Amino acid sequence: MSSAETMSIFSPALSARFDALVLKYPVKRSALIPMMLYAQDEVGYLSDAVIEEIAQRLDLTMLDVRNVASYYSMLRFKPVGKYNVQVCTNISCMLRGAYDIFEHLEEKLGIGHKGITADGVFSLEEVECIGVCCWAPAIQVNYDFHDDLTNDKVDEVIAAYRAKAGRADAKGESANA
Amino acid sequence: MPDVTFTVDGKKLTAPAGTLLIEACRKAGIEIPAFCYYPGLSLQAACRMCVVRQEKVPKLQTACTTTVAEGQVFTTESPEITQARKATIELLLGNHPLDCPVCDAGGECELQDMTFRYGAGESLYTEAKNHREEQKWSPAVYFDRPRCILCYRCVRMCGEGMDVWALGIANRGSSAIIAPNGGDHLDCEQCGMCIDACPVGALTSDTYRYKTRPWEMNHVSTVCTHCGDGCKVTLGVRQVDDGAEIVRGDNRDKSGINGDFLCAKGRFGFDFVDSKDRLTKPLVRNAAGTLEPVTWEHAIRVVSNKLKEIRDSKTENGGGSSIGVIGSNTGTNEENYLLQKFARTVLGTNNIDHIRTTDYAAFVRAMAGHEHRAASLRDTETAKAILLIGGNPTEEHPLLAWNIRTNFRHNTARLYIATDSPIKLERQARQTLSLPVEGYESLTAFLSGDDSALGEIENAKTFREAVNAEESLLVIFGQEFRGAAIESLVKWGLAKENVKFAYLGDYANSRGAADMGLSPDLLPGYIPVTTPGAFAEEYPNLSTQPGMTAPEMLDAGCRGELAALYIVGSDPVTAYGTDPAALKRAFVVVQDIFLTGTAALADVVLPAASLYEKAGTVTNTFGDIQLVKKAADKAGVKPDFEILVRIAGGMGADVKKLVPFGRGSITVPAVTAPALSVDFVPTPRPIPSLRGIHGDLGQSRGAHSGEADRHAVWLAARGLELRLSPFDPLAALDEIERLVPSYKLDRLNLFAGNDVHSEPGFVPVASLTAPTAAELILPAHDGLFTSGVLGDHTKALVELNSYQESISQPVAEAAAD
Amino acid sequence: MSIARNIAGIAKGMSITFREMLEPTQVENYPDGPGPLRGAKFEQRFRGKHELQRDENGLEKCVACFLCAAACPSNCIFIEAADNTEEKRISSSERYAKTYNIDYNRCIFCGYCVEACPTDAITHGHGFELASLNATNLVMRKEDMLVPVASLTAR
Repeated sequence: MSSAETMSIFSPALSARFDALVLKYPVKRSALIPMMLYAQDEVGYLSDAVIEEIAQRLDLTMLDVRNVASYYSMLRFKPVGKYNVQVCTNISCMLRGAYDIFEHLEEKLGIGHKGITADGVFSLEEVECIGVCCWAPAIQVNYDFHDDLTNDKVDEVIAAYRAKAGRADAKGESANA
Repeated sequence: MPDVTFTVDGKKLTAPAGTLLIEACRKAGIEIPAFCYYPGLSLQAACRMCVVRQEKVPKLQTACTTTVAEGQVFTTESPEITQARKATIELLLGNHPLDCPVCDAGGECELQDMTFRYGAGESLYTEAKNHREEQKWSPAVYFDRPRCILCYRCVRMCGEGMDVWALGIANRGSSAIIAPNGGDHLDCEQCGMCIDACPVGALTSDTYRYKTRPWEMNHVSTVCTHCGDGCKVTLGVRQVDDGAEIVRGDNRDKSGINGDFLCAKGRFGFDFVDSKDRLTKPLVRNAAGTLEPVTWEHAIRVVSNKLKEIRDSKTENGGGSSIGVIGSNTGTNEENYLLQKFARTVLGTNNIDHIRTTDYAAFVRAMAGHEHRAASLRDTETAKAILLIGGNPTEEHPLLAWNIRTNFRHNTARLYIATDSPIKLERQARQTLSLPVEGYESLTAFLSGDDSALGEIENAKTFREAVNAEESLLVIFGQEFRGAAIESLVKWGLAKENVKFAYLGDYANSRGAADMGLSPDLLPGYIPVTTPGAFAEEYPNLSTQPGMTAPEMLDAGCRGELAALYIVGSDPVTAYGTDPAALKRAFVVVQDIFLTGTAALADVVLPAASLYEKAGTVTNTFGDIQLVKKAADKAGVKPDFEILVRIAGGMGADVKKLVPFGRGSITVPAVTAPALSVDFVPTPRPIPSLRGIHGDLGQSRGAHSGEADRHAVWLAARGLELRLSPFDPLAALDEIERLVPSYKLDRLNLFAGNDVHSEPGFVPVASLTAPTAAELILPAHDGLFTSGVLGDHTKALVELNSYQESISQPVAEAAAD
Repeated sequence: MSIARNIAGIAKGMSITFREMLEPTQVENYPDGPGPLRGAKFEQRFRGKHELQRDENGLEKCVACFLCAAACPSNCIFIEAADNTEEKRISSSERYAKTYNIDYNRCIFCGYCVEACPTDAITHGHGFELASLNATNLVMRKEDMLVPVASLTAR
């Protein structure tokens, strides 16, 4: 793996984490899904370069990696906004008005399902159950939950993220800091 | 595994414990339908068609994953099971386009068959179908997504069978789809095995696409004309204006030596037959010096008169010894035999040779007298341990590579590889040894115990220990071995018990050409011409003086010492780099299917039939003999056999002596060889009189009858069929069997379309002389998409070759497991 | 007695003859009748010379599936298929019939081909004047049987 390390597109920390992960399982390819998830967290999506390096690290073909990745909707092959807003529309949320919230978000952000705002700050996605049925309706923004929502609450949440994005830009911080 | 007894549909069956139920049932004649199950590949249990009811098990079980055990009771057909299968088909048809009238698989589609048997006429699904356009994945493979039933056969065939791993499944649920590794194209070996495996019309081939329908063709199983493995290929043939054209090549008849396998050359490489460059008229050089089309009668008259004149000339540059004959690597055994007999008895010369691509003479010399030491291709599928030295089977012998992979997968065969450069089969190897380019002879020495030979190579000693520890071993070696090198390697192996050998050579019948005595110093069966009284009865006045080799003939021709050159199906001028202008003084006759470099300078060119247009037998590089059946037909061409007989007749030779045909001619040799299988019952012979014996004289045995005619097979196997014509190659086969020691054939098997092994061990040791020079050997090293002159004229292969070059990246690395 | 019976029999028979003599003529006046059919009349079910149909876009309905040829008991249909391309589209499907011949020397007008056709491309027309002094004229090509595009627009 030393050659992969020197040419790695991942950060040294992630690279080291992967080196350990590969050795953890009796069969190398068992590390595939966690690796893809971590890589996506760092890079933002599974680019060809990411897939190639993962395939190389696990002695798989790129086709194998793509086939597994395409099975899972949480793994994506295209970049998303800085804040990826995922609206659950499964039964509990739906009954409690998830579609109102989704339409409200569509209107507010000016984008549809799987869309990205022009400034690249937000992207919107309609997803299946995110496990917050007891406080439906709920959305997930990156890894943070916002539950028991109404349209007004959604406005607050979005405004908070927009302010955060503005601050981050002003400070010149990196997106996933 | 011990046998167990279980009950299926009230019948008591017995099978080894652990056998899959579906296999056990099929063996017993109980058909269980299945889409995803494919014998020999891993189990998928994806299609749910093979569900059966097992007593005391609450739910229906899949027969393809159920292993049999003592006392089990199964039901394979009941209203409940029919209903389950019907529901499965309804789901499969949910998004199926039902375009059977245009689909290439219509008529031989498993989904169609199952729908007829179980399917409902109506469906509950009224949703609009999700249509996707057909995709072209490569010049060979098309994918029609809506027709796909996701059985995963292609994925497993490509990965496990071919070890290419070019196909996978992307997405999930109803949007799941077969995906090629190149994104929108295939980056693979283009073998087309996925097309064969596909139970529906989702994967189709470019060569056959939308051309015709399966029932419109005659399906002729014959032997592939390309490499030396001799796969059985089924050619779909249709009648056209000027004969019969081949529209499809595939492996529909899986009874051959190749089982499930067929490579790109066998599958797509048949269109040379209809190439525009094909010679279809005899050409004779006129006074102006150009080749002019003439009638067959005229051309034969010109050739036979001229050859006769030269043979009978008493001048210094005359007589038989001033005629040279060069034979073919792709003709049938009978044609090669006839050619050398024609040269030796009619022309009276031992100047007979072929372009030697493999040193079979040295191989047989080494094997002579040692019975049961030559491996059949079938042995490569079952051998417990294989030592592969040199060669690259994946490229040059795809069937051998397939067999080795299958053997590794099913029997965990131990493969040892020693080559000078890395080859793909190393993925299956237990140990590999990297040799220096010139290190093959040192390897033999090292294996025999000479430590200094390969001392500096790191793992050489462990490699040798592992190889020597094997109780039985199959040694396969490539063309790196010639002459004395073969002898020492075989000697090493013969000293051990249970070691068998195979020698890898090029072309469909290179082995046959050598076996049939296309050499200046060896008669058929490797009997030296110097042997006094050899073949005295059949070859009167045979010269015991060895003749010239092919390069010597060309040199002599250039010097003006050879008055005539007779060349059949080969291109020595290009192969040996002879100056065409220098051969002007010799009378050159060429029989070929294309205007090759040699044909272009010939005085007479005779258009010959290709291997797909004639009958006979061929021998693959392992010495397995198979029957070639006539598939295509082209107006204007004649088989080499017929041309030779006509020329011999034109020269005034006794044709009946040359080809023993006609009444009273049948003298089949008494069977003495111990190698024959028990079910071959020798008939008392020679048959004194044929009066009263009337066979089926071909009504049902025509070129296009398609199926094996058991009656004709029975007659032919017992030598009871009348050889009515001097153009019947089987008349020559009788004589070959009588004269060639290694060809003691199980005729019943041969004529039924099976492969029959020849035994070089029957060649008497005493008869062999010194080996010929190893530098005469010119290996062709054809890859997956090249096949000598034939490959250049096969559009499909040329296209595949350029496609492979255009996707420059190497074939993707394999998965680890 | 017998004489009377004979006379009665003759009278009965002749009465039919004389009655029919006064009825109007029922025989078709072919070939001297009026109209394009020259006096010939058909039931709709009459199976005459085949017609190859076009769809509403003027494309050929035949997709060269060979089912008519397979169904034909006298083996009189010969087809060669070819690929439709983007530039040259003949039928609405992937494949079309490059050659479509029916040998009327052999055809027995059984109608199996029409029944077999999955796209209703082949039908029996009412053409019946198929006699010829030259048997080779009786092999009809696709162009001889194909419905002209003009007849679609006229309809």
